[in-house]
Amino acid sequence: MISGRSGLLALAVLAWCTGVADAAEGGPAELDLLMQRMASVKSASAKFVERRELRLLEKPVESSGTLLYTAPDRLERHTLRPRTESMILSRDMLTLEDRARNRTRSLPLQQYPLIWAFAESLRSVLAGDLATLRRFYEVDYSGDAGNWTLLMRPRDAEMRRYVDDIRIHGSENVLRVVEVNQTGGDRSVMTVSGAAREQ
Amino acid sequence: MSSRALRVGLAWTVVLVACAVIVVRADYTGDLSAFLPRSPALAQQVLVEQLRDGPVSRLLLAGIDGGSVEARALTSRRFAAALRGDDAFTAVSNGEAQATAADQAFLWRNRYLLSSAVDAAAFSAAGLRASLQESLDLLSSPLGLVLQRAFPNDPTGEIVRLAEAQAMQSQPRVREGVWFAVDGERALLLLQTRAAGFDLEGQTAALERARTAFAAVQGPGQSMVLSGPAVFATESRDAIKRDSTRISILATALVAALLLLVFRSPVVLVLGLLPVASGALAGIAAVSAGFGEVYGITLGFGVTLIGEGVDYAIYMFTQTAPGTTPEKSLERIWPTLRLGVATSVCGFAALLLSGFPGLAQLGLFSIAGLLVAVLFTRSALPLMLPAGFSVRIAPALGAAIGRALRVAPKLRLVVPVAVLGAAAVMLAHRGAFWSDDLASLSPVSAAAQALDQQLRRDLGAPDVRYLIVIKADTEDAALAASAQAATTLAVLRDRGTIAGYDAPSDILPSRAVQQARQSALPETDVLRNRVLEAVRGLPVRAETLAPFVGDVAAARVQPLVGRADLAGTHLALKLDSLLREHAGRWTALLLLRGVRDADTVERALPGDAILVDLKRESDRLYQQYRDTALALALAGAAAIVALLGAALRSWRRVLAVILPLAAAVTVTVALLLVLRPSLTIFHLVGLLLVVAVGSNYSLFFDRLSVTEADLSRTVASLLLANLATVIGFGLLGLSSTPVLHAIGSTVAIGALLSLVFSAMLGAPPAQGGAVPA
Repeated sequence: MISGRSGLLALAVLAWCTGVADAAEGGPAELDLLMQRMASVKSASAKFVERRELRLLEKPVESSGTLLYTAPDRLERHTLRPRTESMILSRDMLTLEDRARNRTRSLPLQQYPLIWAFAESLRSVLAGDLATLRRFYEVDYSGDAGNWTLLMRPRDAEMRRYVDDIRIHGSENVLRVVEVNQTGGDRSVMTVSGAAREQ
Repeated sequence: MSSRALRVGLAWTVVLVACAVIVVRADYTGDLSAFLPRSPALAQQVLVEQLRDGPVSRLLLAGIDGGSVEARALTSRRFAAALRGDDAFTAVSNGEAQATAADQAFLWRNRYLLSSAVDAAAFSAAGLRASLQESLDLLSSPLGLVLQRAFPNDPTGEIVRLAEAQAMQSQPRVREGVWFAVDGERALLLLQTRAAGFDLEGQTAALERARTAFAAVQGPGQSMVLSGPAVFATESRDAIKRDSTRISILATALVAALLLLVFRSPVVLVLGLLPVASGALAGIAAVSAGFGEVYGITLGFGVTLIGEGVDYAIYMFTQTAPGTTPEKSLERIWPTLRLGVATSVCGFAALLLSGFPGLAQLGLFSIAGLLVAVLFTRSALPLMLPAGFSVRIAPALGAAIGRALRVAPKLRLVVPVAVLGAAAVMLAHRGAFWSDDLASLSPVSAAAQALDQQLRRDLGAPDVRYLIVIKADTEDAALAASAQAATTLAVLRDRGTIAGYDAPSDILPSRAVQQARQSALPETDVLRNRVLEAVRGLPVRAETLAPFVGDVAAARVQPLVGRADLAGTHLALKLDSLLREHAGRWTALLLLRGVRDADTVERALPGDAILVDLKRESDRLYQQYRDTALALALAGAAAIVALLGAALRSWRRVLAVILPLAAAVTVTVALLLVLRPSLTIFHLVGLLLVVAVGSNYSLFFDRLSVTEADLSRTVASLLLANLATVIGFGLLGLSSTPVLHAIGSTVAIGALLSLVFSAMLGAPPAQGGAVPA
């Protein structure tokens, strides 16, 4: 998926290395370790509760359901409340299923770079795919193995118009909280619990 | 040079120069209307229009094979980028997001007039609430990130619907951001040439540029396949050109060697070709003067038909024995030659009456060509021959001919036996004599056709066979009718009868539809109240939707969307190809994809929308053309019998001339049917030539016993003419191109049989008459 742009990627990685080489001491080595730990997971499932605060909306909306991950590139999010809805990310296709309205939308990710970048913020962390993650984001690691935080800032200017940063908190190879901070103060926080996984 | 020679030379020079001027100035057209009756049915008009410059005739399907998926995708992107910068292509699609800012702005600005979801119910409080709810759900999906900016202006999600409708148009599988075949092996592209289907030169150039562009971007191990009408057309033309060039060179060399052997003079050899050359020149000039334009097909067939003209010179040369002059021998054979020409002219005259311009042109061309060829032979050729020219026939050959002529009539029973055998073959022949399938004439290989179908399926490209046509007096009426048909097609698509369709009304709705949508939008105060009601219990404030209320108010009074508003968008290109004006009438085309059941589509369509089956129409047209040609050929045969009756004034002699000819044609048809399942129009043209050439043989044989003293010399001239014909057309018959093969094999077999049967059915020569000179 990346080799076609390996030149670009190499440049990006180089820029990142020079940028953060002298930053925090919890630098690349620990991030690499975290990614290796994530990559060892073959499949995982968990419950989630997501709370969205949008200026457009009068009050925050909350949704909940289950998350399902299958290595290396399949991520399913089945929302059960307030209504059933499924979102399946598989390879380069995002499928939205709205059974109640009998509607399925399939989005080829490469045609929607924004949505692609957004989807990779979660999937490539789960897959331990640092290269893909860095293709879209500048990644900062902080904390320790038991309680870490990834701070991701979009590289793409278009994406930066929508998203300030995405923060993922976790411990060991389990995600705890995914926090998306949009420009202009809109944000969403997804709390993950009851993770079961197979390594 | 005598003064007579001077006068004759001058007269011919003037005539031929005049012809040459007309020929140079003539309009040549490869137009398919040669096949079109003068007053065609609507479906046939559509067929020709589509083949000429319809959107489907301008589509090229491309596939990139070899290398990794990523490498193929990269090549696809580079290739598409190169072609997008090339003026020869009006559209290049490979799956990359192509909707430009102009397209998006157009859809956004006019969303309330363009979206099919806009109606009174959708803008009731309940309707608004339902669409608001759906938009809110989308906001909490990953799409929300993109959609939330539009939400205050477009809470009902019209822009999402419009974008989805556009995306529905064609959806091959996307990998690495570009289209791939379902198995993921082949990257796919869809190109549209600027050159119309009839513009073979333009299409050839576009193909060449596509191949060059690909060569510049292709990766190691990668290759490209191209298909589409343009590829077929140029490949067919090239195959015919290649075959006919190669074969003509070989045939010309062989025939020239033969004639050189007999005439022993290069000058005489060249002189022998002058009658045909003059005839061809006069034929083209006559057609140009009579019809205003010359079809390519007339040239192709016509030159073949007046090939008979070569024989005139051969007869005259060969029959000029030492000690006589060309004038004298011409004097002797002229009555026979004249009758032979009259016979051929009679046969071709029937074609003049045809309602198909192509056939009528062919008739005129052949008549003018043969008359000029024979007149040239008669008046100019003797004067041009070197002084003292004569042809010596080897005594051994003369003796052999004399023997053969004595033996042949003893074998006369062979003829009825052969005819009976032929009749048996025809009776036993299963299926039609004549092929009804135009594709049987196509030089396109089955492999190329299979590739085309594969690519078309993978790309979801419009069907080349079926399309829907709507004719109307105004643009708006055409759009309205298109919308009505599209409603039906949407139902058929959901049922799986078709995979999809493209309708112009989906790009630009009719004025009535736009007005209806406009009037379905509530007044501002009403809308404001409905929004208040709709948001009750939803997590959105009515004030947030103030931009929406403002946009709807603006949409209620905005000018209706017209063609001009599309300027600069991709949608404009598409609309132009689906909706066009011709002579004050508007035609809307609806393209279909993946047609599974054409009959169901035809039955379901509203009355003013016509499903055109291009294959059925072209086959039907071809059948009409062939049936007309056949009927006229039979009428020509009747006219020939009448002419011979008037000239020979003896039924016995008429029969003597007709029988060998009829037997030859019958046996030829039977032999062809043994070799192949059915005959085509090219075989028919071949048979016409058999009659034209063969009638000369039988006429000479008819006169042998009555007027000829130097019998073996006459037969030698027939043999030589026949040999030249069999060599030329026999080689053509070896071609793998259907048209060349058909004409070649028919004429070679038919001409040979005509001569042999004429000899067998002729009277045996008197014992002393066969002594060679």
